[in-house]
Amino acid sequence: MSHTFKGGVHPSYMKAPDVPMTVIAPPPQVIIPMAQHIGAPCIPTVKVGDYVTMGQVVGENPAPVSAPVHASVSGKVVAVEKRHHPLGDMIMSVVIENDYQDTPCTDMKPLTAEQLRDPDAILQRIREAGVVGMGGAMFPTAFKIRGGIGKVDKLIINGAECEPYLNGDHLTMKRYPEQLLKGIELVRIASGLDKAYYGIETNKMDAIRILRSHYPENYGIEIVEEDVKYPQGAEKMQVKAVTGREVKPGGLPSGVGCNVVSTRTAYAVYQACYEGKPVIERIVTVAGSALKAPVNGLTRVGTPFGYLAEQCGGFVKTPRKIVLGGPMMGICATSFDAPTIKGTAGVLFFTEEEDRDVEKPSCIRCGKCITVCPMNLEPVFMYMYYSKGDYENMAKYHITDCFECGSCSFNCPARMPLTHAFKTAKLMFQAKAVKEKMQAEAKEAKK
Amino acid sequence: MSENKERIVLDVAYQPQVRAKTDTKRIMLDVIIGLLPAVVVAVIQFGWYPLVVIASSIASCVFFEWLYRKLMKKDCSIGDLSAVVTGLLLALVLPPSAPWWLPVIGAAFAIVVVKQLYGGIGKNFLNPALAGRAFLLASYALLMGIWTVPKSLAGSVDAVTMATPLSYLYSGAAMPEYYSVGKLLIGSRAGCIGEISSLAVIVGGLYLLVRKVISWRIPVSTIGTVAVLTLIFGHEGYGNLDWMVYNLLSGGLLLGAFFMATDYATSPVTLNGQLLYGVGVGALTVLIRYFGGFPEGITYAILIMNLCTWAIDKGFRRHQFGVSREDIAAEKAAKKAAKEAAK
Repeated sequence: MSHTFKGGVHPSYMKAPDVPMTVIAPPPQVIIPMAQHIGAPCIPTVKVGDYVTMGQVVGENPAPVSAPVHASVSGKVVAVEKRHHPLGDMIMSVVIENDYQDTPCTDMKPLTAEQLRDPDAILQRIREAGVVGMGGAMFPTAFKIRGGIGKVDKLIINGAECEPYLNGDHLTMKRYPEQLLKGIELVRIASGLDKAYYGIETNKMDAIRILRSHYPENYGIEIVEEDVKYPQGAEKMQVKAVTGREVKPGGLPSGVGCNVVSTRTAYAVYQACYEGKPVIERIVTVAGSALKAPVNGLTRVGTPFGYLAEQCGGFVKTPRKIVLGGPMMGICATSFDAPTIKGTAGVLFFTEEEDRDVEKPSCIRCGKCITVCPMNLEPVFMYMYYSKGDYENMAKYHITDCFECGSCSFNCPARMPLTHAFKTAKLMFQAKAVKEKMQAEAKEAKK
Repeated sequence: MSENKERIVLDVAYQPQVRAKTDTKRIMLDVIIGLLPAVVVAVIQFGWYPLVVIASSIASCVFFEWLYRKLMKKDCSIGDLSAVVTGLLLALVLPPSAPWWLPVIGAAFAIVVVKQLYGGIGKNFLNPALAGRAFLLASYALLMGIWTVPKSLAGSVDAVTMATPLSYLYSGAAMPEYYSVGKLLIGSRAGCIGEISSLAVIVGGLYLLVRKVISWRIPVSTIGTVAVLTLIFGHEGYGNLDWMVYNLLSGGLLLGAFFMATDYATSPVTLNGQLLYGVGVGALTVLIRYFGGFPEGITYAILIMNLCTWAIDKGFRRHQFGVSREDIAAEKAAKKAAKEAAK
């Protein structure tokens, strides 16, 4: 049986897993934003002038949906203020001047053998270490696993890495197979399950072979080979490919008994539990036609994009945009000063070369958007009703089911801004719901 | 470096940040390439004159498109090559003896009335080339029915014009010997410029399929329906299988199924809708060929189904991801129960 989903596209992958993994030298200053997860932002726990060690907590929030942030270098706190966040806004951040000593923080010790078998101990550590969904969604992992206990019967580890350019997961599989399997085992134990399914696209057969040579079955892990197709790595598509189940509209994978955890997240869980190391670095693929020498670099959290580019030999062409993550779902950064965060799998410096937009696109009704939509949607009609501002028909055509994978826009020969329109439409629906709620409340109040 | 950085203005674009290479122009170019084998056969069988008809048709389509958009102060759209495709298709469904000015009139109707008045590319609801042909059929019936003898039959037929194989099918008369199946495949027969060689059309159609310009759904359902219906109903004087094969190879069915019925703007976009549409085109073609006033039915079959496209697309939505049939049934049952409870 082939493990896949309906629809999808085949972008040119531009993968370079053979580019050796390098270590990006820690920058002179790191910027640690207080919001590196979905949920309540952290409150800084240090002040200007404090000396912090590498791995020390610099911000936290006791709310259940949150994750603490840690210093990724040792040194002096030089600013606690709003700085450029990679996702656009100015966000409260702790700026640390690197003393290049990397003095480690000793607060967090590796878990004992006994604790490594205890779901509660593991979950607590996942929380303390600030582990979030490192595939890009940045949902606090401890909360996700805890919420699934009792509801979830299938744990899926996401190893599709279907976005072009990105190599971090692939490299992690190849270089740290045993650690990775141990990390998945921990997630499995924390979820209270006997088995985890590891979905990997078959363009990474070398990694699959290496993982198999470490006997994944001993860790309660079954590797599921998946067809190579974007967006295989989307949660809903992973669930579909591995279990055949379809996540309900507006629902989460846990609604159909599944939890999906990314490869890099499982590795972070390993580091947190076996090494007592919080999330302060990750592999970031730095690429794009503007760069002289693209790398897959082990990068400290908080490294500014401008510095990253310098470490890759600078620019050979003028970059036009900085894309965070992969090019299909990645959004654009607005500043060279913004730093990498926990969810940054890639930083792509694109020039005009990658840009194929046209000024006044005109739909030719070819229907190619329908054949590629993994959610069975009909983008051609959704766009038509969006252009007319017809809310009723937009809802009828399930516009809010779109998770913005970009397949329709990617494949559109007329270069229509489909995904952009649906993203806007979803925001419009949200705003409308809020407005209606307020009107209803105002009515109530009058009575 | 850092000074340089200050001067770089960053764009903010929405995802996806990359696009597939194929664009509208490339698709239109592929259609043109797919039609070239038919053009080559036309030149072999009818000499150089068909090229004059083709050139006049393309030139006038492009000219009218340019003129209309210029007069209406809209962006120039001739660069997308869609007018070239319309012009080429229009010429290919004209008789090889058509005077050079005939396609000019057809082009004016196709481009201005059918395509541009409704907003241009993607917005017309009738296939422009076929609507142009239908217009000419109605206005110049005589000129549209003169069938030149192809060069390969010059020895067997002692005349300048001759009957098409389809007219034999229409009258029910026995097919002459020189219209063997092999001859129909290679194009040794009378007919419109682009339709004579079934093989050339099929090769072009396969090219479109390989290039993923069209999907198999419309051509297969159209041709399949004609095949099944003619096989079942047959005709006296013909073996059922012979009758079917002649029906597939004689008229413009293949050219219509691969190049006309698949026109993006005028055919359904929903996947099951495309199947129904194809079945409709096939069934109407057979119906007109059996009972209609013309030997050929594909032109009107496609134009009629063009008119149904909107309704078909409404009726063939795909199932919503995450909602199974049981879910829908359960929801309906719940609604019904709520209604009854309200009573």
